[in-house]
Amino acid sequence: MAKIIPEKEISSLAKSLAKTSTVYAPISKNGEILFDEISDSSNLALTYTQTPLPPKMYFLPANEDLFKVTDDVVKEAVSPSPFVVFGLNLKDLSAINYLDKIMKKEPEDSFYLQRRNAATLIAITESTVGSHNGSDLTLEKRNGSYLAHSFTEKGNKLLELTLFKEGFAEKKIEEPKPNHFDELLLDSNLLAQAVEWSRENSPGTWEALGKICLSCGICTYVCPLCFCTSTEDKTSLDGSVCTRCRKWDACTLPRFAQIAGGHNFRPTQKERYYNWFYHKFVRGYKEFGQVQCVACGRCQKYCPAGIDIEKILTKLVDDYKNAHTKKP
Amino acid sequence: MENALLPKKAKLVKTEDLSPDVKLLRVRLENGAFSKNDQGLAFNPGQFMLLGVWGYGESPFGPSSYPYEAGFVDFGVRNVGVVTKHLHELEVGDAVTLRGPFGNGYPLNLMEGKDIVMVTGGCGIPPIASLIEYLIKNRKSFGKIYLIYGAATPDNLLFRDSYSRWQKEIEVILTVDKPIPGWKGCTGFVNAHLDKVKVNPSNTIVAACGPSPMAAALAKTLGEMGIPKRQFFVSEERRMSCGIGRCQHCTCGDKYVCLDGPVFSYDQVEGVWD
Repeated sequence: MAKIIPEKEISSLAKSLAKTSTVYAPISKNGEILFDEISDSSNLALTYTQTPLPPKMYFLPANEDLFKVTDDVVKEAVSPSPFVVFGLNLKDLSAINYLDKIMKKEPEDSFYLQRRNAATLIAITESTVGSHNGSDLTLEKRNGSYLAHSFTEKGNKLLELTLFKEGFAEKKIEEPKPNHFDELLLDSNLLAQAVEWSRENSPGTWEALGKICLSCGICTYVCPLCFCTSTEDKTSLDGSVCTRCRKWDACTLPRFAQIAGGHNFRPTQKERYYNWFYHKFVRGYKEFGQVQCVACGRCQKYCPAGIDIEKILTKLVDDYKNAHTKKP
Repeated sequence: MENALLPKKAKLVKTEDLSPDVKLLRVRLENGAFSKNDQGLAFNPGQFMLLGVWGYGESPFGPSSYPYEAGFVDFGVRNVGVVTKHLHELEVGDAVTLRGPFGNGYPLNLMEGKDIVMVTGGCGIPPIASLIEYLIKNRKSFGKIYLIYGAATPDNLLFRDSYSRWQKEIEVILTVDKPIPGWKGCTGFVNAHLDKVKVNPSNTIVAACGPSPMAAALAKTLGEMGIPKRQFFVSEERRMSCGIGRCQHCTCGDKYVCLDGPVFSYDQVEGVWD
């Protein structure tokens, strides 16, 4: 089902949704575009490349309470109210689709899924929208207006709003083209082979990265698809309430694979950095059939050491291909 | 929908010092017995459970008790970290939590009709102790059975009260690094005592629990004895958080120790970079 909404009404749409539920959308704040809860006065910024933090934070928060124990009674701490994530770009949307797959694998992660079920996803794009892309509603930019495609019951309900009209608008804008990074990700199998091959056959790459990487974990926090966590218990000062919390962890942090007693299964930064790649491009591919990267570019943009994973992947793939080309 | 991260309420019904730094903790579920699997076991020996205390967290342990027992499970807990330090401070009647059993355990079906050699050291014995109880219960289904168990000193050997009962059914070889006067067992690494094992190599399964240098040394000696790596099963230790294959702490190459393990045939883990 599709309807039309004029471009100038998009802000009104977001703000009218915010009257009845919490709406998170990209807004311009202190010179940066980031996802935040919007209000009437928010400055919506729907043309953006990527936000610093990915929208995964609304489903897998950086810190969340899992259970609260009071007087020996254990309660699940999560009971999310309905909310809307508005203005997702297609890369962030596909990362959420992939996270859904990861979190639905048995046994399901009920905390993540409760939040996902409470959410309505509204994507915005300049690309032509075809089949169901995992959103509830996708706003496709046309000439002076947006064509709103609904893919779910939640989407159909939204189209009942009077802001949407029956109609059609010509597509006059140019279709965005995939960039080099996007194209690199098309062959998951090749990437998996190149990354696996590189550990023994291009050790210099990982030695060098191990020296450059500051082990700060930022690449994993800004990644829309990284989902490593740790749990931690907190007790109130008087000892009456205990909360089990789950927080983002990062496999690049020094103690990620350290066990009680001090033994560390990945003692060097080289091993930890390689593992980050290995998870995204090998383990994740073997488990779910697709590399765990959407080429959003956040990790390279926010890496304080300037590590550019697109360049690394390009080099690994080239080296791998060269090594496997029959020489005359 | 059952929440896999929600632990079951349990309580301590017995504690006992097994060594200067290891305690036996016997745990009973608050709401009835442990459910049994298809083989009638509360857990497969070698599977692990997450034993925890609200306010401190959870840690993985392989239960050491008789696996047909559904009323309680026993854990051998070494005082080595935040959770285990607190577990050591608990008293009978105190509340704990349990999740699991998780993972695969030792290959019980594959072991049937074969000679069995178990090798472990120090506080790696709890899951092996449970396996011994299983083998003894089904003694007629197996050929020769050996346990080679090593520790730093005789004081560090765990489950000492069980040895005489075990020795009636299986060959027990005990070895320590530092003997004391009156010590009647062997000395040196477990590996050095494999020559005492008289088994049919092609019809033998080896079950081990210990660190990777021990496993590597064992694999070499077993190879010389004609026992291939696919007949050698070792329990891997890793950091665990979720226990259900998501948090990524326990990965070993492309495998999850919590889901695919913790028990692997040695050919699966040999030389894995991770």
